[in-house]
Amino acid sequence: MSRPRVAITGVGVKTPAGTTVEAALATVLAGRPTAATVAELVGENCPVTFACLVPPFDPTPYADRREQQKMDRAALLALAAASDAVADAGLGPAVGAAPERVTVAVGTGTAGLRTLVDAARSLERDGAPLPAFLVPRIMSNAAAARISMRLGAHGPSLTYSTACASGATAIGEAADRIRAGRMDVAVAGGTDAPVTAEIITSFHRLRALSGRNEAPEAASRPFDGDRDGFVMGEGAAFVVLERLERAEARGARIYGELAGYASNCDAHHIVAPEPAGTHAAACMSAALADAGLGPEQIGHINAHGTGTVLNDRAEAVAVARCFGPKSPPLTASKGVVGHLIGGAGAFEAVIALLCARAGVVPPVANFGGGPDADGLDVVAGEPRRLEPAPVLSNSFGFGGHNACLVLVPGRPGGPR
Amino acid sequence: MPTEDALRAIVHARVAEVLGVAVEEITDGTHLGEDYGIDSLELLEIGARVEKDLNIRIRVDDLVLAETVGHAVELLGAHLASLAGPSGAPARPRTGG
Repeated sequence: MSRPRVAITGVGVKTPAGTTVEAALATVLAGRPTAATVAELVGENCPVTFACLVPPFDPTPYADRREQQKMDRAALLALAAASDAVADAGLGPAVGAAPERVTVAVGTGTAGLRTLVDAARSLERDGAPLPAFLVPRIMSNAAAARISMRLGAHGPSLTYSTACASGATAIGEAADRIRAGRMDVAVAGGTDAPVTAEIITSFHRLRALSGRNEAPEAASRPFDGDRDGFVMGEGAAFVVLERLERAEARGARIYGELAGYASNCDAHHIVAPEPAGTHAAACMSAALADAGLGPEQIGHINAHGTGTVLNDRAEAVAVARCFGPKSPPLTASKGVVGHLIGGAGAFEAVIALLCARAGVVPPVANFGGGPDADGLDVVAGEPRRLEPAPVLSNSFGFGGHNACLVLVPGRPGGPR
Repeated sequence: MPTEDALRAIVHARVAEVLGVAVEEITDGTHLGEDYGIDSLELLEIGARVEKDLNIRIRVDDLVLAETVGHAVELLGAHLASLAGPSGAPARPRTGG
C-alpha cells in the first residue's frame, strides 16, 4: 500500500512583507525590500540600525491582552499565523479531526530569547524582581504549546530548532508523520522575533549582517556581487497539512502537495556552510527523490539565499551539483523580507508553493549580478512567468542543518 | 509603608494589568476566581509586580488565600504592618545585597 500523500490546505503569515498571505505575496512579487531603520536600534547605538519588522497589526483577535502578556512576540506571531492558516483551511478551532491525530510542529531558532534579554537587562539595571510570566514567555516550546492549546490538539506538539532551517524542518517532519500514517492533520511552520540590540550585535560580531545603515533598502541582496551579509527580520508562517484523501473528502481547497522532504547535516562548522556544497546538494537531491521527481521537473528554486558571502557561494555550488549546468530559475525571498530565522523556511515554502501554483517566479530584490551567480538563472527585475510546476525550497541553518522541501502545486481545476 | 489607599491602588492596578482589563473594572469586591477564573500563574505574576512596587517580598498566600481583591489588600496590609514593626520603621529591604 502506498504511503499517504500530504495536501497543503491552509496558509497564514505574519511577516515584514505583509500580515496576510495576499499582501505578502504581492510584496515579494514586486521585489520590494522591507528593511528599514529601527529607532530602538539607533537609540541603543547598535552597530546595525535596521531590520525587517512585521508591520503593526491588531493582535487581539488572536490573543486578548491578558493572554498576550504571557507570550513572547515570537509566540504571538506564531499563534496569529497558525490561526490564519487554520481559518484559511476552512477548519474551525477544533480542526474537525480526532484531536489525538492533529499534530503541531514549530520551528524556531531563538524562541523567547528577546524576552530573556529584556529581563536580564532589567535585572542588571535595577535589580527588580523578575516576572512570574518569564518562564512561560521564554520556553522554546511556548509557541507549539499555545497553538496546541488553541486547537485542542492532542497529537504530538513539537518544537524543532535547526537555526535558519527550523521552519522548513518543522513542515517536513510534520509531513513525515502524516505520510507514516500516524497523523491526519498538522499545523506546521516557524517563527522568530529576534530584533533587539543584543541579538543584532551578536550576529554583527560574526560579520553575518549587512552593515548598510545608510541604505537599508539596498542591504539584502542575495547572490549579488556587492552583498555584505543578511538583514535580520522577524515573522511567522504556518501551513495546514492534511492527509490528501481526507482533504479531498471534505472538499477542501488544495494549494498543492508537500511531496518531498529531506534533511541532513554538513557536520563541518558551527556557523559556516561546507564550501563545496556537497551535503546541501545531497539534501536537494534526496528531497527530489523523495518526491519522485527528477531535476528537470523542477520549475523553479526558492533558494535559502541569505545574502552572506559564504552562504550564497556555497548554495550556488550546491545547486550546480544537484542540477548540473542548466539549473531552473532561482529566486530568494530574503531580498524582500530579510532573514526570519525560524520563520524563514516556512515563509519561503508558502511563497514557493503559491508562486509555483500561479506560474510565476519573483525577482530577487537588489540583484544586479555577480561572480557567485554565474551559472545560476537568478530572476531579477521583474517576475518571470512559467508553467505551473513543482518547486524546490532550500533552507540551510547555522550548524550545517540542511532542509529541503519539494512542493507540487495543485492541478488547475482540481479540488477546491 | 504605603497608606491603605495607596496599597489598594497598587493592588487594583496590578490585578487589572494582569487580567488585561481597565482598572475601573476592579473593585474590592472583585472575586478573582469566580469573576475572572484567575490561575495560579497569574496570581504569582500579580505578586511579582506588587513586590516590585513595594520593594518587599510578599507571601504568595496573601494572594492565594484572598477570595476578593479587598481581602488581598487587607492581608497585604497586615503583612506590611508586621514587617514595619511597632515603631513604624521602614520595611526591610527585599534583598540583603
